Amino acid sequence: MRQYETGFVLSPALSEEETTQFIQQMAEIVAQKKGRLVKQDIWGKRRLAFPIKRFQEGVYVFFTYDGGGDVSTELERRFKQSDAVIRFMTVLKDPRDLGRRKNRKKRAEEAAQAAAPAPVEAPAPAEVKEEK
Amino acid sequence: MPRDDRPERSERGGYRKYFAPKRKFCRFCQRDIRGIDYKAVEILKKYIPDRGKITPRRITGTCAFHQRKLALAVKRARLMALLPYVED
Repeated sequence: MRQYETGFVLSPALSEEETTQFIQQMAEIVAQKKGRLVKQDIWGKRRLAFPIKRFQEGVYVFFTYDGGGDVSTELERRFKQSDAVIRFMTVLKDPRDLGRRKNRKKRAEEAAQAAAPAPVEAPAPAEVKEEK
Repeated sequence: MPRDDRPERSERGGYRKYFAPKRKFCRFCQRDIRGIDYKAVEILKKYIPDRGKITPRRITGTCAFHQRKLALAVKRARLMALLPYVED
């Protein structure tokens, strides 16, 4: 099981009802393919940085889900068929990217460890040299 | 302070003679961030000035590890039309 994030931009021409309906349909597909939807992020209408298909705005939606590769394949197949989606992208989430606080804790521990045994170890090499 | 009393650094020419370069550091390392998300547009925008190009790390001081992540994030954001490819 891997975590993926699929983001897609919906056409602003859709009515609100159609938009929510489409999002719900896509969420159902994730469930159908035995994916677990972790997070559903709907940004709403947002200005595009450049026009796509002559649209200046788009509705941004992001799905984060655990599952196999077939979930994203199926989603993307639907996106391509549908006229409602003007842009989409699937990104594989790297589990290493999430460990922010853990990293800091670990680093603090390492620093504490480095500080503690250092004075004990320091005289030891000197003794070894003398024996030789 | 009179001009002549300043500590002299003779080998360096130009403006370096008068201003010690400000120490640069990686802002991502400072905050202990591992991954850079392409959806965090406000952060990415700081690294793409007027033209919409990615600022090289010799200017921003970002470390190699985070510069790679940053470049990838900017490119992903561009695809999703969150950031411009070109801007003038």
